[in-house]
Amino acid sequence: MAPRVGIVGIGHCRFGNSSDYDLVDVIAYSANDALQDAGGLELRKQVDQVFVGNMAAGMFNHVTSAASALVSRMDMEPVPAELIENGPASGASAIRMGYMAIASGMADVVLVAAGEVMRSVSGWEATNIVATMSHTEAEYNMGLTLPGFAGMFTRLYMEKYGMTERDLALVAVKDHANGALNKYSHVQIPVTIDAIADGESANVVNNYVAEPLRMYSTCPISDGSAAVILVNMDSPKAKLFRKKAIRIAGMGAATDTHCVHNRKDPLVLDAVRLSSQMAYKMAGIGPADISFAELHDAFVIFELLNSEEVGFFERGKSFIGVRNHETEIGGRIPINTSGGLKAKGHPVGATGVSQVVELVRQLRGEAEEGRQVKDPKYGMAVNFGGFGNNVITTILAKD
Amino acid sequence: MIDFSVYETQVPHISGFKCLNCGTIYYPAPMLCKKCDKKRDPTTGKGWEEFDLEGPCKLLTWTRVWNLPEGFNKKFLMFGMVEFPNGLRASGRIELEGDPVMGMALTASVIEADERPGKPVKVFIFS
Repeated sequence: MAPRVGIVGIGHCRFGNSSDYDLVDVIAYSANDALQDAGGLELRKQVDQVFVGNMAAGMFNHVTSAASALVSRMDMEPVPAELIENGPASGASAIRMGYMAIASGMADVVLVAAGEVMRSVSGWEATNIVATMSHTEAEYNMGLTLPGFAGMFTRLYMEKYGMTERDLALVAVKDHANGALNKYSHVQIPVTIDAIADGESANVVNNYVAEPLRMYSTCPISDGSAAVILVNMDSPKAKLFRKKAIRIAGMGAATDTHCVHNRKDPLVLDAVRLSSQMAYKMAGIGPADISFAELHDAFVIFELLNSEEVGFFERGKSFIGVRNHETEIGGRIPINTSGGLKAKGHPVGATGVSQVVELVRQLRGEAEEGRQVKDPKYGMAVNFGGFGNNVITTILAKD
Repeated sequence: MIDFSVYETQVPHISGFKCLNCGTIYYPAPMLCKKCDKKRDPTTGKGWEEFDLEGPCKLLTWTRVWNLPEGFNKKFLMFGMVEFPNGLRASGRIELEGDPVMGMALTASVIEADERPGKPVKVFIFS
């Protein structure tokens, strides 16, 4: 029987602009934060394995082998260390590798740290670098970008289900309300529906990025890092840590076609549905048991689609749930309590770990006043790699 | 006599691929056939047929992108996803006066473009 794996330490920096700092220092900041949360920096000597999540430091920062650099920077040699890259799901993949290292018996304590410094280049260059995850010949070469795909995707959804641009804005208003209360958010200013949809100046404030997606339908380009300490809850080492472990109850991962146009129905995110079904099965629960969720919303349409694929809403009905306030804190199923990628920010390689840090904060009852979910039992995170073609779902439980 | 055929080879093409073992067609090129497991060797192309992917198609969805990536100096570009009569789909640029309409008939052609860093590439134009 595989050991129980739990999270005993979390670390996070404020997302935003860290382009004046070295990438490895940015990642080490959150790793130190996680060790201190777990009980002290000396606990780094108990770590059996380090996994670092990062998507594109080679292109953004001219840095490779960031895992080797991190252990040296943190005085952790000779601990084994590897870099995990899975596009914007690099962070969740690194946690999944950590879980597998402990479940296999090869490690009892794993440090997972992830980070990205994207603002070292212009937005023009960053958009190009992120687009390299698409199919080279059939997508990237055409000039397409992730916002471009999200725009086409959103138009299909609006045409099929009758969603409006105002519905997209309602998601953004909810996410920014949560993000404004989160000390780690890139954007800590709430927005009103009048400012970005209903008012006379809305078209100027909230201009088009990739029609029908507007600026407030799209995440900012952010720098930042996050870290977690995983432990074998059944090993003697578990007693070394101060915090009660939050258990990883379920994990699932699935892939889909690289080319978006090759999916039978481009609006169906098979990898999200399959990865969440795997995670539910492993945890022995269903969608109704989830208390709150962090759903990958690089574009707000993803939050809506993900909430349908994981079973919180019927297909084509999620935006009705947003209209009815069901996804707000205090609603039936609070979504993106951290502010999500939309407001908290999306340093691509760090996002998956950041989502899990938010799950732990909520399950411990440590979220800021005004955005703490009442007595949560299970939290879910969905992290996208590519345009929904490599997805990791994680379910944490408070035992 | 001057051989003008050399100029014909410079007309840009984008290929679809047909597995000659079972007849399944693909775009872009696969490395094996998902229906009959036939391997495709990109150096010889043996057992596979290449055909030009262009001509009439139907627009499935579209967007107008205002934040173009590195290399592009235009204010915006329109992109779309289309379906060909043989069932293959493709993504590319749209060049039309005014806004496209989902479901409209378009014609796909291919140009060579060099906006992005690196070598010139083949690009679909739907018009």
